[in-house]
Amino acid sequence: MKLSDIAQVIRSKNAGPRRLTFDIMFGSDADYQRVAQSPAISAEVIGRLYSVPPSEVTIFPYPVGRAIKIVLARKIMAGDPGDFDVYGAQQHAPLLGIEL
Amino acid sequence: MSASGRVLRELRAERRPLRLLGASGQLGYGVPTPAFNAGLARKPDMIGCDMGSIDIGPTYLGKGEMATSPESTRRDLRKVLHGALSLNVPLIIGSAGSAGAGAHLDATLAIIRDIARTDALSFRMAVIRADIDRGMLLEAVRGGKVTGLDDMPDLTEEEVTEASNIVGQMGTGPFRSALEMDVDVIVAGRACDTGIFAALPTLLGFPTGLSVHMAKIIECASLCCVPGGRDPILAILDDEGFILESMNPDRRATPISVAAHSLYEQSDPFTVHEPDGSLDLTNAQYVAVDDRRARVSGAAWKDSTDPTIKLEGARWIGERALLLAGSADPRFIAQSKDLLPKVAIVVRDLVCEDTPEDYTLRFRVYGVDGVRMNVPPGEAMPGEVFLMAECIAPTRERASEVVRTCKQFLLHYGYPGRLSTAGNIAFPFTPPEISVGPAYRFTIYHLLHVDDVDALFPVTVETL
Repeated sequence: MKLSDIAQVIRSKNAGPRRLTFDIMFGSDADYQRVAQSPAISAEVIGRLYSVPPSEVTIFPYPVGRAIKIVLARKIMAGDPGDFDVYGAQQHAPLLGIEL
Repeated sequence: MSASGRVLRELRAERRPLRLLGASGQLGYGVPTPAFNAGLARKPDMIGCDMGSIDIGPTYLGKGEMATSPESTRRDLRKVLHGALSLNVPLIIGSAGSAGAGAHLDATLAIIRDIARTDALSFRMAVIRADIDRGMLLEAVRGGKVTGLDDMPDLTEEEVTEASNIVGQMGTGPFRSALEMDVDVIVAGRACDTGIFAALPTLLGFPTGLSVHMAKIIECASLCCVPGGRDPILAILDDEGFILESMNPDRRATPISVAAHSLYEQSDPFTVHEPDGSLDLTNAQYVAVDDRRARVSGAAWKDSTDPTIKLEGARWIGERALLLAGSADPRFIAQSKDLLPKVAIVVRDLVCEDTPEDYTLRFRVYGVDGVRMNVPPGEAMPGEVFLMAECIAPTRERASEVVRTCKQFLLHYGYPGRLSTAGNIAFPFTPPEISVGPAYRFTIYHLLHVDDVDALFPVTVETL
């Protein structure tokens, strides 16, 4: 099963112009627990998908919102020359196919 | 007596739960009338609107321009002004004109004054400026009182001098001062979105943690609901918690949807840093009141021992011009990554024959790697691509020269195996080159360490 088969929301957005944040939300506590307890979403996996060192990936389990938050440094500050996604709202796609 | 004086006197005389209407998270992009009117019918004690954000990028701040159109901005301002004045409750607007610098604030005030004149409205208006004085900031830089946010490099004196606009994000203090000045309307430059809604309750002695948490949620209107949206939202705050209710009956504030909102655009779902302290959501609780209302409690507040103001500044970096085109040639698409840099060299050799290489030229190939941070190797090539060349140069004319030259030589560039010798790219219209105006980048995204975080934001009052 892929992450996109079980999550209700998989989104990315800036958290300020120098950070990118991803929210993965689930429709039930069972779905949340299943993903939160699996090794599928680890700093190593995320680092590989986004080509950043695992040490620069922060993952927050957020059970009260049945969600997992991931935070990365942006490689290019929002709006700098060469940026390709000023709001950071289209960087979620690599997460969709994570195998659980 | 004006609206803020009346509301403060009434609630100080007889304490009761406070009712706050979050009318818009992006004033100028439309306030749905049915939900706004439903909100007015609930007799809120104040109406608040957020009008700006740093998300929109550096150009609006640098150029001093609004992101929203003048027409829609005026429509929204007119709606919330009439609503607040009809109830005789304060209207509080933060981050005026998208980026909250002097030019944005003045443009917003000009619209408000014009509405007042046209509609024969009369009210007292507090104006809070958020521009940061360069002399003071230079002193602070020299004194080591400025630190980078999120690994931003140290601020230099040159960046302070060269920035087109520099703003600070005010906290709740300046809004509280304005409310004490007996006004009907408060319009602030760049502000923490929490300041708009936390000022009135904290002035009345409601717990700071709850007030700031509530403010953080309702500044986005009904975004915390399922389905999320821009309809106004009502919060009813007491000393132990607050109840959230969207003014659109189709949007439900559920414990999960409200809790999940704390994730939105935040790098830490449990902590929110404000100028004079931080909000701790570790023990926040979310319970259902009924099918479409949630009650929130448990947020804690910690005063800061190191008060800070978040600074934002943008610097002009040149004039931007674009070339827009497409391709449906599989050989061209397959080789685009190697071919485009070669076209850039042809262009350079032509436009730099008697002029230095004073510009940057970038290509984005949409369909291949135009959007993603990291593209996995070995992806199949698409049948069509959209191609954008972007030049940033010292003048509009120079940027235009570069993209026009680029268009011609990209169209006719010969590459190995080329079959379509009449032209490599398709134009949806001509001219396919566009001058888009000045380009800016954020050069200031720093914290200013300052003892009095409110003194930077002067409040003045005018009567219309």
